Amino acid sequence: MMRCCCLVLLIIFFAPLSSLAGETKVYPREVQIYPREVQIYRGEQTLFEDTVWSGEILIDGILTVAAGVTLEIRPGSRVSFTRFDSNGDGIGEHEIFTQGTLRVLGTEEEPVLFTSAEEIPRPGDWGTINMMVSETENLLQYSIVEYGYRGFHAHFSRARLQNSTFRNNMRGAQFQESQVVIDGCRFLDNNNGVQFRDSKVTLSGSFISGNQWGLRCVYSDLIMTDNVIENNLVNGVNIRDGKINAQGNRIVNNRRGLYLQRSEGRVVGNDLSGNSEHGIFLEDSNVEVVDNRLAENGRAGVRWLNSKGRLARNLIADNGVYGLINDGTTAVSARNNWWGTIDPADIVAAIRDGRNRPGLGLVDNRYALMQPLPFDLLGTP
Amino acid sequence: MDMKVNYRKIMAFMVATGVALISLVSSLQAADDLPDYQGTYSGDLVWQGTVTMAGDVLIMPGGTLTIRAGTQINVIPAQGTKIAPDYLSALTELLIRGKLDIQGTAQAPVRFVIVETEETEEIAWSGITLDRAEESLIQNTELERADMAIRCVGSSPVIKGNRILKSRYGIVAQQQSHPKILENIIMDGEGGIFCWRGSNPYLLDNQITGHDEEAVFVDSSSRPWLDRNLISGNSIGLALYPRDLPFDSVLVTGNTENLRWLGRQGQAGDQ
Repeated sequence: MMRCCCLVLLIIFFAPLSSLAGETKVYPREVQIYPREVQIYRGEQTLFEDTVWSGEILIDGILTVAAGVTLEIRPGSRVSFTRFDSNGDGIGEHEIFTQGTLRVLGTEEEPVLFTSAEEIPRPGDWGTINMMVSETENLLQYSIVEYGYRGFHAHFSRARLQNSTFRNNMRGAQFQESQVVIDGCRFLDNNNGVQFRDSKVTLSGSFISGNQWGLRCVYSDLIMTDNVIENNLVNGVNIRDGKINAQGNRIVNNRRGLYLQRSEGRVVGNDLSGNSEHGIFLEDSNVEVVDNRLAENGRAGVRWLNSKGRLARNLIADNGVYGLINDGTTAVSARNNWWGTIDPADIVAAIRDGRNRPGLGLVDNRYALMQPLPFDLLGTP
Repeated sequence: MDMKVNYRKIMAFMVATGVALISLVSSLQAADDLPDYQGTYSGDLVWQGTVTMAGDVLIMPGGTLTIRAGTQINVIPAQGTKIAPDYLSALTELLIRGKLDIQGTAQAPVRFVIVETEETEEIAWSGITLDRAEESLIQNTELERADMAIRCVGSSPVIKGNRILKSRYGIVAQQQSHPKILENIIMDGEGGIFCWRGSNPYLLDNQITGHDEEAVFVDSSSRPWLDRNLISGNSIGLALYPRDLPFDSVLVTGNTENLRWLGRQGQAGDQ
């Protein structure tokens, strides 16, 4: 009798626990060729041999490219992903996951499209083009990547994104501990344009616009030349604890233009104008800011907070409230700039520092230029 | 004999475990009943009494968040600098892409209260953002220590009778937002009301005082209607681009600088 009671109790206790484990999703391991010549990958599948795609490909699961294997995608291919959101967080999980090498070889006339398979697509329908420890150089060339959670995502990988468009994703590109070259790409209307951490990145000739955040990174080295970063809702570029070399970029009409926190580097020959708050905001940073145009920003051309470095040979004119705000307690070296006027009183009025806010550091604005230097974006052709 | 003893022990253990499990399940059920919110909501949601914003809250298009009069919302500040995929800030954020209906009254205001920790900074949360939201109301609400207490992005709510304290920005209207901003008290922040990117709000009977920077800032593409607002005790009262924007100068008084025409980098206004 006692034994029976124990058994009954055990069943009562453990039956619900087994149901908590949930249903196991069973994926058939198959590749089907349909009459419309759509190549379909369902469930969890892995490519163990070099593979070439062209035409229509449907990913209805998670497709892994094994280490040492190359997946090549030919011009004009269309790769679509079904929406599968197991935990209801609004983020689709179907994706390509590569530990091998991905070579997407679109052309200007025949780009490769990565998109949602849904009739009414939305950002986050599918996961990402995902790379993990993929150290041979991956290439996305003339690709269009849309409606993903992250258009491109990488950990410990090397990649070149070239002449590709990332649009309407939750994040256009996001990566960590990677080396990525981004050249001639467009990041349009994503929640966040480009985001990375602990990476080395070269960004050139690219266009980042209409995102909530333009570019945001931490603990990274960034070389950026000849880019246009405009009309992003929050910051155009935000770098924290990083190194930057920015040359010849137009970072305009964002809320903040270039926002550097605890970072160092050079900002030379850029147009940092028309931003709602500040053209450049330096916070606890050490940066050389030379030969830039800092004009028509809403609150100030430059906001300087406890930073080192030099502000020289810039055009700082026609900004809203001030040309330069020193909000820190340290001095600012700001010699040889054009302040939009040769009137010493007006130059002083363009600067807010310890002279009108006791306790703040002073700005050394001596040797103001008598006329603006010819401004030219100094980017590499 | 030993076996019988063992069965008794097992039985006793099972019963005790059962009681403990039932108790645990009950307590979990009770915890579930606590009004504790974070994440994405697509339907209709009503807050009343005391609720907790344990993290970011997003009201999706088509959804409605109604907050009844007298509700206290305990806001838990975010840790770290990570920004969740759909949000604009690393700080705790109430993001409305549907409809917001805050029904505070003068007698029973709605209050957003910061839950302090040792790490809590002076600016403790992001605030309320309406991002292309539907017709909304924020009424008789107390907001403090927000990055942007109320931010309208392509949204035109009614913002009435609120008390906004010690925030970096009080109210921001940007990207063609045209809210009605009526009878609010905005005090002791960095800036008061900002009009950016083609925004034309109506500002009536607001009191904007004690800000370190600008009380009202209007960029060159915006054109608010400034109607009988008391603007006093700020560093700069009005910071305006449009040179022909009418305002009631009598009530713009006692600021370090009452008027600054923008685009002239520090040169004082000459009205």
